[in-house]
Amino acid sequence: MSFSPDALTELSAAISARAGIAKNAVAAVRLGEDRHLTGMIWQADVVVVSEQSLPRKDEFELVVPGGSTLTAKLAGRDASTNIAILKTAGSMTAPSFAAAEAQMGTLALAFGADGEGSASARLGIVNFVGGEWHSRRGGLIDRRIVLDIELASREEGGPVFDAAGGCLGMSTFGPRGQVIVIPHATLARVVPQLIREGHVARGWLGVALHAVAVPDALRESADQNSGMMVMSVVENGPAAQAGIVAGDIILSVDGIAAQRFRKLARYFGSDSIGRRADVRLIRGGAVVTVQTTIAERQAA
Amino acid sequence: MSEAANDIGFAERLRVAVRADDPLRRNVLCKSVTEAGHVIVDEHDAADIVLADGGRPPEEVRNVVGLGIADDRLRGALPRDADARQIDAAIRAVAAGLVVRAPPSRDNGFGAMREADGHALLTPRELEVLAALAEGMTNKAIARRLDISLHTVKFHVESLFRKLSARTRTEAVAKAAERRRSDVIML
Repeated sequence: MSFSPDALTELSAAISARAGIAKNAVAAVRLGEDRHLTGMIWQADVVVVSEQSLPRKDEFELVVPGGSTLTAKLAGRDASTNIAILKTAGSMTAPSFAAAEAQMGTLALAFGADGEGSASARLGIVNFVGGEWHSRRGGLIDRRIVLDIELASREEGGPVFDAAGGCLGMSTFGPRGQVIVIPHATLARVVPQLIREGHVARGWLGVALHAVAVPDALRESADQNSGMMVMSVVENGPAAQAGIVAGDIILSVDGIAAQRFRKLARYFGSDSIGRRADVRLIRGGAVVTVQTTIAERQAA
Repeated sequence: MSEAANDIGFAERLRVAVRADDPLRRNVLCKSVTEAGHVIVDEHDAADIVLADGGRPPEEVRNVVGLGIADDRLRGALPRDADARQIDAAIRAVAAGLVVRAPPSRDNGFGAMREADGHALLTPRELEVLAALAEGMTNKAIARRLDISLHTVKFHVESLFRKLSARTRTEAVAKAAERRRSDVIML
């Protein structure tokens, strides 16, 4: 039985044509026997990968389109935006893709590397598009993009395209296995910084914090119901130099209430380095203010 | 009938050796194992099951239930934050000759920052009481340590149970530890 060409065969042919192009955009990052991750070929000597899944190693072996292998060195990683870059010794043919904005309800194609120089393809739709958000590590992600696509772990880190072939960004796993996209805009902002400096500069006080309720007796003088208790202080960090100790409850930094994580994440951007900040805190039952000088975050 | 039930109860009481470097953690694990009806034994030879926490995998992997240990040879492998029910189920399953694996944890995928919700936050005093609970201290001992009345200790413990929706002290300690792992932010 055979059908004459119709909408379905056309759709299939169109997807297959996209896949034929996209397979030149992915490289496999070998993790061991029969295991790999996907990387997105960003430029002739740079591959972008998902930071959360990249082992803490300095050197990797890549299988590039066509099947040849290349050695690549870790050139930068930023856990706050889940972006890492590998730099290859030899050069690859980098395809050029236009950036595209994700739109809810449109078709999306996600590609992974197959580990032998070709790709694997996934088709679904853009399930949800929201505004910018902050990751648990404080990084700013330009859009919340959720796909209704299932991804194998080896396919994480590959490019995601819309129907017109525009690049939406890099695929990765969110909580509970949800497949999300690190938007192209975020890649375009972070990757050049990583190429230049190997990390994304951020302001830093050198404290680990845990949210606590302010004791009833202090609520009035603190003028807020919750704060962030200092669990530990990094030796010689800005907080330690200002005399902040474990057990202090930070109420605000430069007027920003300590439990407003997102606002704080924004405040501690690269422009905050060197800035003097008043930290209001509870110590020994009294509210005191200490002055700190924000430093650049030390490599994690 | 009741005799048969007793027999089953007796058969299911296993001798468990608990290995954990952190004494607090060991306490918590021992408690949840005994609360599940098992007996703690010291020597590994006498144990039906070894419950091993974190760090390096034990040399002897037969009948070991590991918590947060990445070693495929283990008969039982649970995430480090497995709850008391999962630990009990894993101990019994491995003792019965089965292999236990937790589904791959995807909860640590790249997620959004959650802002603390004011309701369930613990106060510094409650955290102190919690630390004492983790050491297995009685209310009386806690009152002495923190220099507060027994009544106040009971008040804090009840508040902890409510905020953590825990029914036992062990559960409160476990739930708080879980929260602490996921909710610490670095600044």
